[in-house]
Amino acid sequence: KMAGDSRFPDVDTDGSEKSEEMEIVVNVGGVRQVFYGDNLNQYPETRLAELVNCLSGGYDSIFSLCDDYDPGKREFYFDRDPDAFKCIIDVYYFGEIHMKKGICPICFKNEMEFWKVDLQFLDDCCKAHLSEKKEELEEIARRVQLILDDLGVDASESRWKKCQKCIWKFLEKPESSYPARVIAVLSFLFILISSVVMCVGTIPDLQVVDAEGNRMEHPTLDSIETACIGWFTVEYVLRLISSPNKLHFALSFMNIVDVLAILPFYVSLTLTHLGAKLMELSNVQQAVQALRIMRIARIFKLARHSSGLQTLTYALKRSFKELGLLLMYLAVGIFVFSALGYTMEQSHPETLFKSIPQSFWWAIITMTTVGYGDIYPKTTLGKLNAAISFLCGVIAIALPIHPIINNFVRYYNKQRVLETAAKHELELMELNSAEGKAAGSRSELEDLSREGKEGPFYSSRIKVSHSDTFIHLLSEEKHHRTRLQSCK
Amino acid sequence: MPLGMNKHGSRSTTSLPPDPTEIVRSKACSRRVKLNVGGLAHEVLWRTLDRLPRTRLGKLRDCNTHDSLMEICDDYNLEENEYFFDRHPGAFTSILNFYRTGKLHMMEEMCALSFSQELDYWGVDEIYLESCCQARYHQKKEQMNEELKREAETLREREGEEFDNTCCAEKRKKLWDLLEKPNSSVAAKILAIISIMFIVLSTIALSLNTLPELQGVDEFGQTTDNPQLAHVEAVCIAWFTMEYLLRFLSSPKKWKFFKGPLNAIDLLAILPYYVTIFLTESNKSVLQFQNVRRVVQIFRIMRILRILKLARHSTGLQSLGFTLRRSYNELGLLILFLAMGIMIFSSLVFFAEKDEDDTKFKSIPASFWWATITMTTVGYGDIYPKTLLGKIVGGLCCIAGVLVIALPIPIIVNNFSEFYKEQKRQEKAIKRREALERAKRNGSIVSMNMKDAFARSIELMDIVVEKNGESIAKKDKVQDNHLSPSRWKWTKRTLSETSSSKSFETKEQGSPEKARSSSSPQHLNVQQLEDMYNKMAKTQSQPNLITKEPGQAGKQKEELEMETLPGPMVPLLATRTDGIVDMRSMSSIDSFISCAAEFPDPARFSHSPLTALPCKGGIGLVQEQGRPEGSGARYGEVNPSSESSHRSAFFIESPKSSIKASNPLKLRSLKVNFMEEDTSTFVPASNVLRTYPDPLKSRGAAAAATDASLLCDRSLMSPETSIYTTASARTPPKSPESQAALAFNFHDAGIHKYIDADTDDEGQLMYDSSPPGNVSPKYSVANSGYLKQKDHVYRTEKNHLEAAALPTSPKLIGQNCIYSMEGITGRTQGNQETVRLENHISPEVHVLPGSGGHANTHDQSI
Repeated sequence: KMAGDSRFPDVDTDGSEKSEEMEIVVNVGGVRQVFYGDNLNQYPETRLAELVNCLSGGYDSIFSLCDDYDPGKREFYFDRDPDAFKCIIDVYYFGEIHMKKGICPICFKNEMEFWKVDLQFLDDCCKAHLSEKKEELEEIARRVQLILDDLGVDASESRWKKCQKCIWKFLEKPESSYPARVIAVLSFLFILISSVVMCVGTIPDLQVVDAEGNRMEHPTLDSIETACIGWFTVEYVLRLISSPNKLHFALSFMNIVDVLAILPFYVSLTLTHLGAKLMELSNVQQAVQALRIMRIARIFKLARHSSGLQTLTYALKRSFKELGLLLMYLAVGIFVFSALGYTMEQSHPETLFKSIPQSFWWAIITMTTVGYGDIYPKTTLGKLNAAISFLCGVIAIALPIHPIINNFVRYYNKQRVLETAAKHELELMELNSAEGKAAGSRSELEDLSREGKEGPFYSSRIKVSHSDTFIHLLSEEKHHRTRLQSCK
Repeated sequence: MPLGMNKHGSRSTTSLPPDPTEIVRSKACSRRVKLNVGGLAHEVLWRTLDRLPRTRLGKLRDCNTHDSLMEICDDYNLEENEYFFDRHPGAFTSILNFYRTGKLHMMEEMCALSFSQELDYWGVDEIYLESCCQARYHQKKEQMNEELKREAETLREREGEEFDNTCCAEKRKKLWDLLEKPNSSVAAKILAIISIMFIVLSTIALSLNTLPELQGVDEFGQTTDNPQLAHVEAVCIAWFTMEYLLRFLSSPKKWKFFKGPLNAIDLLAILPYYVTIFLTESNKSVLQFQNVRRVVQIFRIMRILRILKLARHSTGLQSLGFTLRRSYNELGLLILFLAMGIMIFSSLVFFAEKDEDDTKFKSIPASFWWATITMTTVGYGDIYPKTLLGKIVGGLCCIAGVLVIALPIPIIVNNFSEFYKEQKRQEKAIKRREALERAKRNGSIVSMNMKDAFARSIELMDIVVEKNGESIAKKDKVQDNHLSPSRWKWTKRTLSETSSSKSFETKEQGSPEKARSSSSPQHLNVQQLEDMYNKMAKTQSQPNLITKEPGQAGKQKEELEMETLPGPMVPLLATRTDGIVDMRSMSSIDSFISCAAEFPDPARFSHSPLTALPCKGGIGLVQEQGRPEGSGARYGEVNPSSESSHRSAFFIESPKSSIKASNPLKLRSLKVNFMEEDTSTFVPASNVLRTYPDPLKSRGAAAAATDASLLCDRSLMSPETSIYTTASARTPPKSPESQAALAFNFHDAGIHKYIDADTDDEGQLMYDSSPPGNVSPKYSVANSGYLKQKDHVYRTEKNHLEAAALPTSPKLIGQNCIYSMEGITGRTQGNQETVRLENHISPEVHVLPGSGGHANTHDQSI
């Protein structure tokens, strides 16, 4: 046997020409495949091409490349997935690779890396799938990172830092503890109350008339308003103080909304107290009135407490193009139909369409199928035009809305999926730590970041399974039986 | 049984289990191991398997005794270093990759439920699934669990309806069926329609009552109901009350009935009327008449609830209710969106419009109404903005409203359509179940379950072999004991019965003489055919090559036979569905007849010789039945004849349906798939296999030479039968399960190879002699499959493995035996029915996974 082993490399070193026509038998997980040397050498950096070249290098180099070698059959054995291999060898014949349907793209990518086939050979049609999965994984990794950030408490940090973190968690993570949840609910209630107060304050019956004959808000409503603003301010300041990254915090959308909800109150306060000295009273009052509109911003604060609203904003952000399309369709429609309506109604003596800009309003109301009835066509032609504009409006709105809805639904579903995935990832990591891998949260984090880039968790995970995977041989029947019982 | 068979292939029970040292040596001599999972061969390093030593594959290495090995794998071959697992091959690929790469991914089209079962089997925890696949897996699994739960609920509901505890249970059950299940009978349907009419009538009366022209004026100057309409109302209420009371009385569980939402609606529809009567009667003279009136008015409004009673009669309404309940999350989202939009736009429009003279936007709450009407694009026009700013806000409000409402609706719609589909499916399933029950009552169910038929046929053969040498007098007794399933069908059997029962007798006695005494034309026909096949087989088994002409002659003769009996029976068969169903149900017995009588046919089918065996029972039977009429389009006539046969046709035609794991036809179709997939794996194996035909052929020749022994005769005529006789002779009917399984495994292989040997010349014979015109389209499909198989002999190995899937799993056989035993010993009542129910429910459940190959596991789970 030894003779055969030593002789084999010699045979191949005869000449490079021979190696070109040489047959290479590869056995991948039980699937045998025969290759020709020149075919493999098209891509010299791949593992199979290296196999051709290593034959001259002797036994050690062979075994560094493959898992087993049968000198009798001259067969290289690789302990890999045969299905993926069958797809990957396409690169030697066609120059491009298509993923077999059903194989997980991440798994396929790893196989390609093993065979040292560059990812660029993967055809574009399959690449999209892969990148989608990759994005998903990154998203999961980010989430897990966030959760871990919350969990990880470093003893080395100063007391101030710890305190800061504590407050941050208290205010930003309602699910972290019971008091935090209470705080979140309170905050939500304050938003609601202040919104209601804002609305109720405009009812004439509840307003009081001050000395100068101006209508003022009811004093009790005013005090409630002040209390709410006080709460919002305290909340915002605490958040700002405890945030790890101040600039990032100040620029994030939700916090800008917070500022907008608070600011009008203070601006109007300063204006009424100081502004009187600087400008006329009526101007001050107008400014205060204008600032009042800004109070509406507090309704957006609700978005912090509702994942559905966040999804909506995300979907709208994602489908900017479609929204533009929708607006453009509508704009074109409005322009065309208002012009048409205006011309057709000209013949009628008591026409409601006095000018084209005025009939814009009619066009909008008709195209969105609202139809107030304040302006309506009176001539036959104008009515015909109205019917057509209504139909066009339905189509113009319905067409671009579909992709927006699609984005929304997809993101909505993905959100849920990612949540479970992140939980699962954490479970996996718990498994690892339970296995006794001496690891604090730091090294777990490293693992995680590697995981995000699909780095192998391999050794540790395999080790874990020693302790955690058990054979169901005996429990199997019982298991099935209970399952069946639950079915009945 | 030739000794040659023990040398190769899988072991049989006859050979001693190998020595532990032998096993150790076999394991030590190679670094790799071959794992054959459901026919797909994998090769893997032992080292790789050691990475997860506590899983099933990890333990394989440490098992050094025969018993422990058999506990882990289903079969093994030490010489080939190959271990066989009777599991789904697709899932195994991913699981093996877990050993190789440490990453557990899942095939995308794989059903999550079956994948989790596979994971259970291989001892891998599902927690190792990679994140990219885990999400999908859990989603699907949750969905599946939900569906299973729902299924279980309906089942429990059905089972819960037991009327055993109190008096006149039967009457109550009848009443319950009449009132609650409109599909159960015509009377119930009529009752349901009347009920709907009453609901509609009372609703119309309620509406008409408010028309001022129809109202009367009482002494206090108040409007009262029209007297005629009041009568209508009273009649309707009486009907509703009666219905409710009867339902309540007949319900098996009173409290549950009371709690049910539909019944609560019923109660709410009735109560207001009585409360009104009570209040008006008791307070006629009392001073607070005005207050009473107000209360009465409120109760009058509650009468509207009766329109909800329609929900009982409409699946659509029920699914709507369920959808709303299930998607309250999305509904909440919708309302939240709307509320926010209304809030924002009403305050915006308020600030824009408030300086206008005589504006209607007086405050933010006042403009809520405008915002609502605009966002929902209703647009009454009672309030509308007048300033330019207000109009801009209004336009934005319209567009935002359209968007905001449109967004969460698709999610709700999705929920609805899913549920609606499910509801529809369940309705169909219930109908099918009812049809099954009806069929069971008629006694035609036996061959519905191919598995049962298969098992029964085995058992029958046991009996035949055991009693073979004994006297005819005893035979009747045998028939009494073991053939009851066929006997109780005889009551319904008609023309078609004679043929099968007679030929069955023939079979059982094994002697053609007795059979010849019968004068039935069909029977004679069979007899002649049998003789002919005898001849054919004899000539064919000669090693000489002159077989061609006689074979052809025989074939032509058969043709003649078929044509000489033209088709007056065709209409009869087509119309008499019962008879045909019964015939089908006889397939358990008749499969032997067909095996014996139609030698060429098995050969033609033999692209999956074994897997097709039980189904051949059915087909062969149909052929036999069809022979007198000429065999053009038998399938067309028989298949649609009744529900059961229709179902079997369904089996035949759809390879995807995973209704029965052990359904041989399905296995066959699966196997065909695999054939197309893999081409290059089994070349060496085929060499081994090729050695088989010779001893078998020689045996056949020897048998032909003797030609006297009944057993040999039969074995000559049909390989299946012979194997069965030997199989049953070797393994006592109730031998330990695993042993039985092994034995079958072995024999299957043997049979299979035998057929292979046969088909090699037989097939050539048939195709060379250009098969006569009675080959139906179906046949030609089978033939092409067969041809394919002939070209690649290694596939036969696969066939063997696939076929082995049927008999190998010991539990399966054991169960079949139980079923068939119960079916035989007396189909009297209850317990057997429940067993059957279980048996027939299982397909319903297994349809759900929707993926092809692994229903096997389900059957084990049963």
